[in-house]
Amino acid sequence: MSHVELDPRFASPFPQAVLPVLRNPQLRKNVAHAIDVIQTKRGRLVTEKTDWQELRNSAAAIRSHVLENLGAYLEEFEYRCTAAGGQVHWAADADEARQLILELLRQEKASEVIKIKTMTSAEIQLNPFLQAAGLDVFETDLAEIILQLGDLEPSHIVVPALHVNRSQVREIFARRMGLKDLSDDPKELTNAARHYLRQKFLTIPTAISGANFLIAETGSVAVVESEGNGRMCLTLPRTLITLAGIEKVLPRFQDLEVMLQLLARSATGERMNPYTSLWTGVTAGDGPQRFHVVLLDNGRTSILSKPKQRQTLKCIRCAACMNACPVYRQTGGHAYGSVYPGPIGAILTPQLMQMHYAQSLPFASSLCGACYEACPVKINIPEVLLELRSQVVNQERKQTGRFLDPLYLGLRVANLLFAWALLFHAAQWAGRLGLRLFTRKDGWIHWLPSVGGKWTQTRDLRGLPAQSFHQWWAARAKETK
Amino acid sequence: MRASLFITCYNDTLYPETGRAVVRLLEKLGVELDFLPRQTCCGQMHANTGFRAEAYSQAKRFVRLYRDAESVVIPSSSCVAMIRDQYPGLFQELGNEALRQELAVLLPRVFELSEFLIDRLGVEDVGAYFPHRVVYHASCHGVRALHLGDRPYRLLAKVRGLELATLPNVDRCCGFGGTFSVKNAEVSSAMLAVKLQDIVSTGAEYCTALDNSCLMHLGGAMHRQYAGMKTLHLAQILASTEEAQAEAAQ
Amino acid sequence: MSTSALSRQFILDRICAAILPPAKDLAGAAVDYAALPREYIRRGSLSREEKLQLMIKRLREYDAEVIETTPQELPAAIAAQLKASGRSNFIAPAGLPVEWLADDFHWTIDHGLSTDEIEQTEGVVTAAFCGVADSGTIVLHHSAEEGRRVLTLLPDWHLCILRSSQVVQSFPEYIDRLPQPPRLVTYISGPSATADIEMTRIKGVHGPRFLVVILVRDED
Repeated sequence: MSHVELDPRFASPFPQAVLPVLRNPQLRKNVAHAIDVIQTKRGRLVTEKTDWQELRNSAAAIRSHVLENLGAYLEEFEYRCTAAGGQVHWAADADEARQLILELLRQEKASEVIKIKTMTSAEIQLNPFLQAAGLDVFETDLAEIILQLGDLEPSHIVVPALHVNRSQVREIFARRMGLKDLSDDPKELTNAARHYLRQKFLTIPTAISGANFLIAETGSVAVVESEGNGRMCLTLPRTLITLAGIEKVLPRFQDLEVMLQLLARSATGERMNPYTSLWTGVTAGDGPQRFHVVLLDNGRTSILSKPKQRQTLKCIRCAACMNACPVYRQTGGHAYGSVYPGPIGAILTPQLMQMHYAQSLPFASSLCGACYEACPVKINIPEVLLELRSQVVNQERKQTGRFLDPLYLGLRVANLLFAWALLFHAAQWAGRLGLRLFTRKDGWIHWLPSVGGKWTQTRDLRGLPAQSFHQWWAARAKETK
Repeated sequence: MRASLFITCYNDTLYPETGRAVVRLLEKLGVELDFLPRQTCCGQMHANTGFRAEAYSQAKRFVRLYRDAESVVIPSSSCVAMIRDQYPGLFQELGNEALRQELAVLLPRVFELSEFLIDRLGVEDVGAYFPHRVVYHASCHGVRALHLGDRPYRLLAKVRGLELATLPNVDRCCGFGGTFSVKNAEVSSAMLAVKLQDIVSTGAEYCTALDNSCLMHLGGAMHRQYAGMKTLHLAQILASTEEAQAEAAQ
Repeated sequence: MSTSALSRQFILDRICAAILPPAKDLAGAAVDYAALPREYIRRGSLSREEKLQLMIKRLREYDAEVIETTPQELPAAIAAQLKASGRSNFIAPAGLPVEWLADDFHWTIDHGLSTDEIEQTEGVVTAAFCGVADSGTIVLHHSAEEGRRVLTLLPDWHLCILRSSQVVQSFPEYIDRLPQPPRLVTYISGPSATADIEMTRIKGVHGPRFLVVILVRDED
């Protein structure tokens, strides 16, 4: 597969980025299959959970409450975690976070590190940075191994390799693990990964993880997983570095009773994921004796400062939105040009980039609302999409090239027409006249130029009727007089 | 019972037969219908494409126009969703207190067609006759924004001669999405292809909905592909009787 | 000042400026926290027996073996399961009740064993803190009789002794049982699994591939 760009600064705009994907039946089938499996399971479990809406209400309220009191909760977390033997560091941006983690690894004299999948580390592009500094970085999630060994990019935040099928995995493992007789049976492939990793788990003394939740009340960290590689990385090494966005905090341990009931059902369609680990600082004799938490801002405080957009930070990275999204189902994740794809990516990515990049993403949606309906913390994604669209348009208003954009022009003109009924009716008359050129004998339009051509690429358009509704009404009124 | 018809900009221009059906239907049910000729657009297209200032000016115009209407009936669930869900935010951001008040008293008087029939008129059987196999497409705004629930199905159930097909993946978006259909035409078309598969698989003769926007998109592809199915707005089915069957569907 | 300390101030200042009206302190936040809506089900409605049956059902759904026994029969039941496993070399947490260390098997007691030593064993026997029936979750707080986290991670076979009095129906009920939040926790709700390859669920990636639960009916 050709290299996929997931850096929003360099990725193609969404309408262009989707084109190779839409023409790839294998990829579309893989994505649709994965989505359908999760959605079917999720649907059953949501119906079964009779207090699902009540849980969502509480989760949304808890997360909003956290954001409104983020400073207090982060300071409490830092205090408790430190008291329990952890060390808490703060990184204002991606660059600082990378430098900080490298420095911590250098203090350990580490030459290699094992990692549990964390989207936050992908956000700050940690792996290439560490590798350039001479360290070996070993991903340990099966999907992440597939991607790492195959030199591929993630396309989903929970099932990152959902776009890769078994024969592709076989080819990657056979080549990179030197297993010539490997079959494409998923059980055998998984076994190969298990063997590949076992020695690494038992010998590499430094690990990097993310965090699903930071508990302020206790200074604890919670990591949710399925495979067990998380437990390996969190308990066997001598040193653990946990990277977490500042928005990951929850007030109390009790809040897990809400979050954990929602998370697995939303993410993978299970009542509970196989393994959840929670640890507090350092515990003598059990697990890493050196523990660091790196709290990351990287644009989050900017989002926090905007009341209409703040809800974006409620996200618990469950991927329910992209599982529900009819756009994502057709395009997969790569087209979004970001490590955060789908509906949440469409709002998070441009905001993390301070609206300097990824301006096409807020428009990568038909506004159907399925994401909002599925979101366990009730982020009104369509509302944020609309807010971001207006910000992008306001950027365009300042650009001289805007008059070359037919859609921009068309909408500005339409606004004038809608202001006066006379103008609107005149435009209808002109439209009827002008479109007669393109209207065939059966009364339908098969081709239009410019923006209209984007419609007629795949759809006909019925020609404008000779009489508008308001003209019919007026004529009828005259008749009855 | 009096009501003012807001036909919508695109119905006025492209689907006057839907308007005629709404008039025939409501007048038959004893509604004294009026039509304000100065109406143009609710502002949805501009709001959804990011042109908030423009959308606001249209919204202001709408609210002022319908100030004195007893009820406003709109045969388009997406337009009603715009008015109900987005007008408050627009007026909060760009309007003044007086306008916000006007909107607050107008909102309870704005109805989507199926809401008007069931909630306001209290009627499910409108005396319609339409002897065909029909599939109902549940537009996203109707389902998720207006929470119409089973209203359209209750109306369809009372149409004599009508055979309602079950649509698989009924909650899945058809891919129209307003300007999304041209700004992201390829994805829109991919979603359309998938939706059309489900719709055509029902073997229905007609596909109906409460929004001509979705139907323009679905029907446009059906026509392009010689799909053997046509679209028509629910109003046209409900206005159809033995004496006057539905006007030529798309 | 270190970069981290500077960034700490920078971030907290930005957070402070971002929230208007100004955010409360922790005590003020606690008041709002107490008022948050919690209308979800906190207490299950199943009878004691139904709850136990649900726990057993969920455990079996994810291929754990479940054996029921009484407190008197427990040591014999343990011996029987150890024998049935076909394994002979077991590890036990330092605080495991001595009566559970069945004869005729090789026991290594964890008094700070190395990873290599644990890796040599074939199975582990532990108690648990709690079982949550709704999701078939086994809760480990890693007390002396539950053992360090690595003990239930490396061996391929895990025998967990769960008392019926320890089983609750819902997760909130487990939370209600806590005198204070635990420091170390592992929630086990199935053997390790992945669905990363074509969404085909494969069990036993890392962590024990075999889980046996002896449910001790200590309430009858």
